[in-house]
Amino acid sequence: MHLVNMEIERIIIHQVYQRDEDGKRVAPLQSHEFTRFEASAMNEFKARVRDALGDDSKAVQMEIVNQSPRDLVTLIDAMSKQKDEDFAVSSYDIATKLTEAQQRKSIPGGIVVVFQGKQGHPQTDFLGVIKAEVHSGYQKEQDPKTKEISLKFVEEVLLTPGQRLYKTAAFFKNPNYVDKADDNEDMNDKWVVMVSDYQISKADGKAAAEYFYSDFLGCGYPQTSARTTKHFFDATKDFIQDLDASVEEKYDLFNALTTYLKVDTSSSISASDFAEKYFEDIDTQDEYVAYLKALDLPTTSFTKDIKHIESSLKTRKVNFGGSVKLIAPSDAFLDLVSIETIDGEPNEAGEVKEWTKIIIKNKVVNQE
Amino acid sequence: MNEKEFIDKWEKDKPLYDKWGSFVVEQICEQLQAEGIDLKAFLKIPAKHRIKDDSSLIDKAFYRSDKSYDDPYNQIEDKVGARFVVLLLEDIEKIQRVIESSANWSYDPCKHFDIDKKKAPLLFTYQSVHYILHPNDNGLDLDGLKVPSDIKCEVQIRTLLQHAHAELTHDQIYKATKDVQPEVHRTVAKSMALIETTDDFFKEVSQKLNYGPLEQHQVVPRLNSLYRTYTGLEPHSQKSSITIWDTYEKFIDEKLVDNINSFVEQNSFISELIKSNYPRNSFYQQSVVLFVYWMLKNKKRRLVNDWPLKRDILELLANDLGIKILDA
Repeated sequence: MHLVNMEIERIIIHQVYQRDEDGKRVAPLQSHEFTRFEASAMNEFKARVRDALGDDSKAVQMEIVNQSPRDLVTLIDAMSKQKDEDFAVSSYDIATKLTEAQQRKSIPGGIVVVFQGKQGHPQTDFLGVIKAEVHSGYQKEQDPKTKEISLKFVEEVLLTPGQRLYKTAAFFKNPNYVDKADDNEDMNDKWVVMVSDYQISKADGKAAAEYFYSDFLGCGYPQTSARTTKHFFDATKDFIQDLDASVEEKYDLFNALTTYLKVDTSSSISASDFAEKYFEDIDTQDEYVAYLKALDLPTTSFTKDIKHIESSLKTRKVNFGGSVKLIAPSDAFLDLVSIETIDGEPNEAGEVKEWTKIIIKNKVVNQE
Repeated sequence: MNEKEFIDKWEKDKPLYDKWGSFVVEQICEQLQAEGIDLKAFLKIPAKHRIKDDSSLIDKAFYRSDKSYDDPYNQIEDKVGARFVVLLLEDIEKIQRVIESSANWSYDPCKHFDIDKKKAPLLFTYQSVHYILHPNDNGLDLDGLKVPSDIKCEVQIRTLLQHAHAELTHDQIYKATKDVQPEVHRTVAKSMALIETTDDFFKEVSQKLNYGPLEQHQVVPRLNSLYRTYTGLEPHSQKSSITIWDTYEKFIDEKLVDNINSFVEQNSFISELIKSNYPRNSFYQQSVVLFVYWMLKNKKRRLVNDWPLKRDILELLANDLGIKILDA
């Protein structure tokens, strides 16, 4: 859980440009002054950061891969202790690094917001970078005499709530970190990196996002993804199992879980995303998210890796009383099988028991 | 005791009765206030003690055909009286508890409409609760005046509707100059039946309005006390907190305040946030802010979906906890 109790201390903004016609880099435009927001603008800025990286956001944790003195993390590591003057210079180095990483001509320019603050309890340092693309919009204007409303076209608008137009990353200092003064230490022990980029969660978006998380930030997908994905799969199965719902609803939810992990091409997943897509009732969504949180699953998104659950996703099994089992490939369950609870015929005592009606939309091909 | 002796003794004792009556009213009122009751709203007619006037006392002691006393002076117990008129049946019980728990007097419960109803279930007539209060065995010293234990004061407690009936029967029927027709008696009895029904309805309304899980689990006072403990500040509840409790009533149960307590305990920075925002934003001055933080952490979707107030408050609290609330 990050960004609890957040305070932002320094913000500085530089401008970066798209490559020119020949594909050459254009040097970023440097600011020398820190940006000082008044209270309500600061709250709005915090809300942007919170929605991008906070609990329940689409941000994913990444691993720091490139750790040489020329890589971003070394710069970040130094900046947290720098005085304002040096910090301003270093922040421009960040803008330069981003410009270098934007190798394709199609990548648009925009602004780079470098901000530093504290979060958590007790508070520890964090350093964030936002790349925001400039877009256009309208500003409401009212004629003072006639009170008529008109719209003024604004060519450059930034950091509006929609998250498609900016990418955010932050390095959070690990509160348990003890300085070992060792030059070869793994920066992943010291800094936790969260990256929010809608292209990561978009189907097949990994390649488009790569320049930011890999070339610029020097990060990669964490190796624990497969374990986390299995944990998510098992925990969600348990939750559905214990849910107070009809057989049909549970059957649909198990199918949904398979679809979510196997069919959906998004490379990142989250409890909150699954909940909002597949549980109709808001209170069930909240309960499910709280259930997964209590099991220490990530409260943000994480990258999907189905390595450990491939066989479980391949076939689905439904068990009935009387040792009857129905086993089929998951796809067949989705397309060919429907299950429905019906009232059975009364037994001798007149009791009506629950039976199951199964329809298999195909013919029998073999029996023993 | 003849009429002359009776009047002489009455004149001599009057100051004692006056003192005792005023003491009784004062004590009951003070205790009600100590329980947080606003007397101006609670008592529908200001409570005052009243000494019986001489002529009606003599009339009652010697001339009324329906009363016959061996020892009228001591047997007439309402020489001084006080009346408490309230809106609801349950308000009567509050005053009863005050009277019965006081160490200042001994009391005889001498009339209660619930007992009357059991004794004569078919009768619809005057309803009230009466107590006779007198000092304990050794008497009581009040401002240098020694009030002995045989000085009695009658306290009547009734609802506003019961009082209306009593006024009608007392003023109009009891003092009627001509014979009262049976149909008038019948009509008065009918109105008493209606009054009893209405009092029951009033009770139902008040319970529905004022009694829910919030009251049952004493959530507000307990949360106020948590708020004080964690922040050292005094919470001020506003109307907006009632709206919040109404909206999320289904999440109020016996464990809620304990859950909020352990949540705030684990997130100690919350008390610091409340303290620093207290002067700036009145939402932070209400103990319900603790509940909203807890909801944000545990039931965010329901909280955001049903949020009944302005969105910017929620934005601020979400910033405090670093939780995404935007659906983008």
